[in-house]
Amino acid sequence: MNNTLSFKTIAPFLQTGQNSISRTIGYIGLAFGTLLLLCTVQMYININQLIKDKNPRKNGFDFVSVTKIITNQNMGSDNRFSNADIDELKQQPFISDVAPLISNQFRAKASAGNIIPFSTDLFLESVKDDFIDTLPPSFKWQPGQQDVPIIFSADFLEMYNVFAPSQGLPQLSASSIGAINIQLECYGAPGIETTFTGHIVALSDRINSVLVPENFLKWANKTFGNTGDVPAARLYIKTVDANNANFLNYLQQKEYRVNKDKTKFGRVKQILQGILTGLGGFAILVILLAMMLFSFYLQLMIARSKDNLQLLLTLGYSPKWLSNTVAKKWIPLYAAIVIAAIIITELFQYLFQKNIFGSTEALSAWIHPITLIVAVILFIICLAINFRIIKKLLYKL
Amino acid sequence: MAAFYYTAMQKIILQQLAPLFLEKEKVAQSEIWNKEIVINTSQKLQLIAPSGSGKTSLIHFLYGLRKDYTGQILFDENKISNLSAEALAETRSSHISIIFQDLRLFLEHTAKENIEIKKALNPFASAMPVEEMAKILGITSKLHQVAKTCSYGEQQRIAIIRALQQPFDFLLMDEPFSHLDESNRHKAMELIETEAAKRNAAIILADLKAIEYFKADNILHL
Repeated sequence: MNNTLSFKTIAPFLQTGQNSISRTIGYIGLAFGTLLLLCTVQMYININQLIKDKNPRKNGFDFVSVTKIITNQNMGSDNRFSNADIDELKQQPFISDVAPLISNQFRAKASAGNIIPFSTDLFLESVKDDFIDTLPPSFKWQPGQQDVPIIFSADFLEMYNVFAPSQGLPQLSASSIGAINIQLECYGAPGIETTFTGHIVALSDRINSVLVPENFLKWANKTFGNTGDVPAARLYIKTVDANNANFLNYLQQKEYRVNKDKTKFGRVKQILQGILTGLGGFAILVILLAMMLFSFYLQLMIARSKDNLQLLLTLGYSPKWLSNTVAKKWIPLYAAIVIAAIIITELFQYLFQKNIFGSTEALSAWIHPITLIVAVILFIICLAINFRIIKKLLYKL
Repeated sequence: MAAFYYTAMQKIILQQLAPLFLEKEKVAQSEIWNKEIVINTSQKLQLIAPSGSGKTSLIHFLYGLRKDYTGQILFDENKISNLSAEALAETRSSHISIIFQDLRLFLEHTAKENIEIKKALNPFASAMPVEEMAKILGITSKLHQVAKTCSYGEQQRIAIIRALQQPFDFLLMDEPFSHLDESNRHKAMELIETEAAKRNAAIILADLKAIEYFKADNILHL
């Protein structure tokens, strides 16, 4: 076949100008759908990036603490978890692991020596190492060791920094807190008293407590509190999804109170993702409808040019060449639509990042590569559908 | 797709070819139907066929437009029933040209556009220029006229010029001069023979009766 042949050669024999309203609406629909889809994908990625840091997940698990709900009726009784409670929790399919938070059964007092004239009675807790989000190697204790490593809640530090100035105490940064020598005084039966040196080795975002190594607390409870096995008032639960409906229903039914703060971001994220998934679905629907409208236009065009196309085939024009040439005509148009959608999505992303997040580094001003990949895939799918429709219609002649 | 891109087609072979719809007596009387016939390039074959003997059907069979027949048609060694749409397109653009009885022009387009669309597909370098052919056949003034406004005789001449734009090894003609006057018939025949000679091509001319100015080297009655 003569390779100077192009769409131009056969264009006068095709009635491409017909039915331009359905064609134009098809283009607009395609452009709108593509833009909506790309924006949705980009927002989905934005939300994942923004909320990831605030959702303390470790190895794909959520960690939440539960306590029994204290009501006026049960106030007087023991509201700690028995071993049977723990075993029952462990058997639930949506719970991966459970660990009790053991608390001190003796009086503990902390002071910061002379540098910070501050002293307070204190509660100490311990939990299995596996449940701690920030676990430094130095978080270990051996009998006889004078120095006790402590993991401190980041929330407590924030609270301290709020009231410190009014009490004439210095405010502390997360990095400087480790340098403070804490006098940890433990009191047992009258006359029994030991002072340890405490060091904050890490801050935890997940566990609102003052954590010491588990073996230290067991030893201290025995030595100062004269108790061995201590029932826990708080449990830590490791679960794949803290927002799982079955999980939340189960806790409600058992009248356990879950620390909502830790799942709040997860819930916001889930709702936003739900909305975006809906929008994405809508975008795909719009694209499908636009493609359908466009395919009607193609069908009409080919039906109206049927006699001419048939005659071209009779004259020796190759059906493959004809269908490819006709289909190729729409490549620049599809490319223009997709490129315009990418540019507008990038503009939205830039404005979103600049105006809502004040150009913070939490969010990139550039659209994510995945959004670009989605755009390219959409482009390829549109072309493939176009080629297929035209080929099918032409070979039917 | 089976490759079918040979440089030149040497022969068309009819093997026991017969239309499905034709009465047995007519098939039996024919010198073509149900026979083994070999048509070589550079041959000039005249087919004389009264109405209803299947003349147009035969031309359509040879051009691969219809398949309602028994027996086989071979282009060299290739059965045309086995040809892909692509191979058939290649054959039509390079090896077989045709003048249809019903002309098959783009009626909404000008004479020139009708000719150019064929020429664009696969131009034959040594063909006489379109304007010159139009001059010989007396339709120069009609070249820019929409085909449907031309008389049938003029349309017939447009179809003749169109058929001579491409390379071919066989030229099929189905009553090509039916609406031409005596003078134009001679001129058209001369033009066709000249162009066929340039391509060393066979001419297969089917008509109701013998055409004396076509110097056929074989005459077969359908």
